[in-house]
Amino acid sequence: MSSKYEKQEELQSKQDDASLASSADVCSYLMSSPLLHPPAYLSPSLALRISQQAPLLLQGSSSSFTLPFLSSGESPERWTAYEHLLLSCLRIGDDKSARLCLEKLGDRFGATNERVMGLKGMYQEAVADDNAALERILKEYEAILVEDPTNMPIAKRRIAVLRSMSQIEAAISALVKLLDMSPTDAEAWSELSDLYLSQGLYRQAIFSLEEVLLITPNAWNIHARMGELIFISSNASASADDVDVEKSLIDSMRWFCRSIELCDDYLRGYYGLKLIYFQTSNRLLLSQKYKNTSASDISGPDGTAQPSLTTIQRLNQQATAKLSEIVRKSSTGDKAWDGYAQAEVIAARELLGRDEQFAER
Amino acid sequence: MAQAVAQTIHRDPALFYWILFPITVVMILTGILRHYATVLMQSTPKKLDAKAIREQRCLLRGINLRTNASVLSPQSFQARKAYFISSYHSGKFLKEPENKGKPPPNPMTDPAGMEAMMGMMKGNMAMMIPQTLIMSWINAFFSGFIIMKLPFPLTIRFKSMLQSGVATQDLDVRWVSSLSWYFLNLFGLQSVFTFILGDDNAANQMAQQMAQVNPAAAANLFQPGQDPDKVFQSEAENLEVLEHEWILEGVEDRLLEDLA
Repeated sequence: MSSKYEKQEELQSKQDDASLASSADVCSYLMSSPLLHPPAYLSPSLALRISQQAPLLLQGSSSSFTLPFLSSGESPERWTAYEHLLLSCLRIGDDKSARLCLEKLGDRFGATNERVMGLKGMYQEAVADDNAALERILKEYEAILVEDPTNMPIAKRRIAVLRSMSQIEAAISALVKLLDMSPTDAEAWSELSDLYLSQGLYRQAIFSLEEVLLITPNAWNIHARMGELIFISSNASASADDVDVEKSLIDSMRWFCRSIELCDDYLRGYYGLKLIYFQTSNRLLLSQKYKNTSASDISGPDGTAQPSLTTIQRLNQQATAKLSEIVRKSSTGDKAWDGYAQAEVIAARELLGRDEQFAER
Repeated sequence: MAQAVAQTIHRDPALFYWILFPITVVMILTGILRHYATVLMQSTPKKLDAKAIREQRCLLRGINLRTNASVLSPQSFQARKAYFISSYHSGKFLKEPENKGKPPPNPMTDPAGMEAMMGMMKGNMAMMIPQTLIMSWINAFFSGFIIMKLPFPLTIRFKSMLQSGVATQDLDVRWVSSLSWYFLNLFGLQSVFTFILGDDNAANQMAQQMAQVNPAAAANLFQPGQDPDKVFQSEAENLEVLEHEWILEGVEDRLLEDLA
């Protein structure tokens, strides 16, 4: 899909040809590979590629006692790589290699290490083939949690299992309990927000996302997500007061603006801006107070300054320009522009097409 | 006045093989030994129980709210502020709400404080015992030897540093005594240890002394002996006086200016 990954893949296949027999080679291979990135960010083809090499990588023996000047020794990267390899293998379905990774991690850190316990749980979930097996795993998790309620990885695995068995209410209450103990966990808050959204509880979802923002105040993706949430909630409450909807649309636009302010090239931010314009332009043009006023700012119902129509239009122009640039450059395979997910680029192209129809009308 | 005649002292080469070399080797070996002894003696940090984690992280959440308040809309901020202030005042987040208002436990009898102190003791012991042993060993066997001559001249101020154990007034500063060689090794072998043991070795006594100043600061938000309730009260006060400003206010104009 993207040229950068293809390059990496080419490189890897070249490295495959060279023998990876000695463990030093394996070590240096581990250091340089994309294995150090969390596997969720890898494209499917690259994840496949990585996990296919798993048997080769896992052959290398690991000695536990070394002097640093005699060998490269043990480095944190090595274990990070094993962890990510495990996740990639599970994603592809190579359970045998995943088992090997897990054994290596277990040998090094001990089976009672919380993180290893979490990974082991993930492996068991992956090889479980029916609901009864999942139930059994759930029981195991609960037994562990009774013994040690502070075991975060297991607590989170339990929530994930509950969610995958579509016991959403149980998952939410477990998450709330977890967050009562550890309210500075951004991951848990965003998961909670997602769960609430799936239940249509918009206010709660927005509250949870605000907590995420308090922990990571510069995360542009969370800002854009907040914009999306508010947008969705305003759409869902179609019967509500027009003024309310208008206000939340403006709020949502501001969140998108902030996310672009934090990250210049964030596709979702621009996409949101453009989407908001479609929604607002009809509404605001009809709205009474925009008819009479010109460029000057208008006071909203709660006293905060509302952006003028011209501001919204100019933002739309900027978003259109940027989106078409992104679509153009990433479809021609420009090196510097290949970081966008394909689905997002396609959606942006579709939105731009809608814009043209809109203009024709 | 004619140039001062350079002092010459005839040294037995055996001095090199039997004093200079052994001291250096022993110093390096003790360093390595100390590194592995420290690694062995390290106790794994004690796990906090759920209540303690909750206490710390709830405080952290309040601090987060104070530092990052600008991401919230005024309504959300006011609601959170009211919630935190009232629960901080009521001691809702405390590990033991019934102990609110009581004086903090004596750090000497507090088991958590004892543990931290034991850790510090162990580190100190690993440093002190070998150092004392080696120094008395050198004093007993090698004191009073001049073992080498530095190839460069030095000022008189270095005399006490380089010639400890040799009380000779007229001796040139370039001559180094055995006891001083020990001190030079003690402070100068850091890079050798880094080479042998890697970057974060425990043989490096400078790093260890720095770490001892505050070993548990990163792991534990509350110092042993500190009353969590007082910390919560002061955080509540901080929140009360906080002036809130929403960063999304006027963001669209800022952005347009930025992009233009």
